[in-house]
Amino acid sequence: MTIDIDAIAHAATDSPRSIAPARRRKNRRSGVIVGIIAYLVTFLIVLPLLWIVLLSFQPSSNILTNPFSLTHLTFDNYLNAANALPLLRMYGNTILIAVVSVTVGTAISFMSAYALTRMVFRRRKAQSSVRYYFLAGLAVPIYILLFPVYRLDLALGIFGTFAALIIPYVAVSIPFNTLLMTGFLREFPAEIEEAAIIDGVGLWRLCWSLVLPLMRPVIATILIFNIVYVFNEFPFASILINNPDMVTVSLAVSRFQGQYTVDYGGMMAAATIVLLPQLIIYAIFQRHVIAGMTVGAVKG
Amino acid sequence: MNWVSSRSKILLMLAPTLIIFTMFVVYPVIYSGIFSFSRFQGFGNPSWIGFDNYTALLQDPFFWQSLQNTAVILVVALVILIPASFALALLLRRAIPGRGVLRALVFGPAIIAPILVGLIWVFILDPKIGLLNRVLEELGVSPIQWIGGDYLTPISVAIVFIWSSVGFAMTIFYAGLQMLPADVMEASALDGATGWQQIRFITIPMMRETFAIVTILMITNVFKIFELVYMLTGGGPVHRSETLVSYMYYVTFTNQQYGYGMALAVIITILGALVSLGYLAAVRRKEALA
Repeated sequence: MTIDIDAIAHAATDSPRSIAPARRRKNRRSGVIVGIIAYLVTFLIVLPLLWIVLLSFQPSSNILTNPFSLTHLTFDNYLNAANALPLLRMYGNTILIAVVSVTVGTAISFMSAYALTRMVFRRRKAQSSVRYYFLAGLAVPIYILLFPVYRLDLALGIFGTFAALIIPYVAVSIPFNTLLMTGFLREFPAEIEEAAIIDGVGLWRLCWSLVLPLMRPVIATILIFNIVYVFNEFPFASILINNPDMVTVSLAVSRFQGQYTVDYGGMMAAATIVLLPQLIIYAIFQRHVIAGMTVGAVKG
Repeated sequence: MNWVSSRSKILLMLAPTLIIFTMFVVYPVIYSGIFSFSRFQGFGNPSWIGFDNYTALLQDPFFWQSLQNTAVILVVALVILIPASFALALLLRRAIPGRGVLRALVFGPAIIAPILVGLIWVFILDPKIGLLNRVLEELGVSPIQWIGGDYLTPISVAIVFIWSSVGFAMTIFYAGLQMLPADVMEASALDGATGWQQIRFITIPMMRETFAIVTILMITNVFKIFELVYMLTGGGPVHRSETLVSYMYYVTFTNQQYGYGMALAVIITILGALVSLGYLAAVRRKEALA
């Protein structure tokens, strides 16, 4: 299910086995050129991030006059940013929202995906209709939901609580979760489950201790995809959260320009503080993150 | 599986998703559709005005400006992004030491929050403090108004979009390349095909589906561009650099013309779907002809 990128990479060795020496020498030289190009392109792509990090160590006076200088690097911007930013709060809020919405979204999508693929409906048609009903959500851009969801949150009296943001996040994750989970379950034979049922296992234990462990790769993909989405989400958060104590990381970043105005060093330090943990986590789970974010594209 | 499939159990398993999805996705879409025919300022009762919002949109110069900007971004992004990411996939497939690390670095921008991507690029593109003009200055070129000027912003937005998507598109191409059968390549190499001929006459035709997937994904993503504009220019000056979505956000939440904003949202949804479907139809027709 998940695309194990490195495994595929190793399986397809690039070097042909037997070539004449002259051609091999030519290949080696063009290989060096190709390598240089690859490193150059990658450097250009990483450059904006390096620039931000460099500026974050630059005294603010230097940023306007002499941003390339490396002589007066300072840590002050970080001290200022750490004092000015509600770091603990914004990370706490975002993690809380992400954990709750992704857990709930995955759990309930699992339940419905199981019902939509394994359970026997009296009317067969109804089963596939409900599945398409969920999948149709893939075509809905979230921007059309913003205002109605805001009104709905107000009407339900949950505006001003984290639930105002968590429930829409759960809702918009349902189509993608359904796509991946029903896709997996349809390809996966039901025999083990049938045997377990004959042995007298109930629905709860069947799902919890048999089916869920089998679906671990899909679940991992879904968790990663949704966590990245919720962590980076801005439009919903900007409308459904108006209490400064409830800011998410994205919301905090969106206010940097107003907050720091001309303190560019401070702004860049703040940006780096947000950027770095994300990049470190990405570096650790790199293969899973890439697979998790692209599998939907390949599957859908 | 009949044993566990009593009607109450099925209902219990389906109920949470059905309720949440219907309330927070399906109902809002219908709500937007209905309120796009009203004038509504957030208090009192909406008044029903038929197609007035839609006809007003046709006469709204800012709507046409944002549509044009979105089209420019779409064209620039697709023309550069698709070939570039495909070339990058071919490049990072070669036996280069550390290519796994390179691939991860190239993908990196895709995981950064769009709002942060916007902030980062302010410090590249800003005419006064940006890296780009600083470098140009060192080279003796006069500064260019990459953002906030009269014309260039959509192109700059397209470049930022390309930066954040190129690794993502590259990865999908890369996965597609891995699925090509190796024997076709070997056979053509024995027949004396050069690397370029292999790419042109074998790889690209065999990957038609992957190209279609990447193109559709990028079209949908261009129609979602919002945070980049929000951070780079805020849509200004005077809505010159607005995209469809950022203009809708402005109309709805800054101006609080809810009915008008909903009409705009409906148009964006339909346009996005039409462009994707149109592209798919074009690909199909081409395949039928070939």
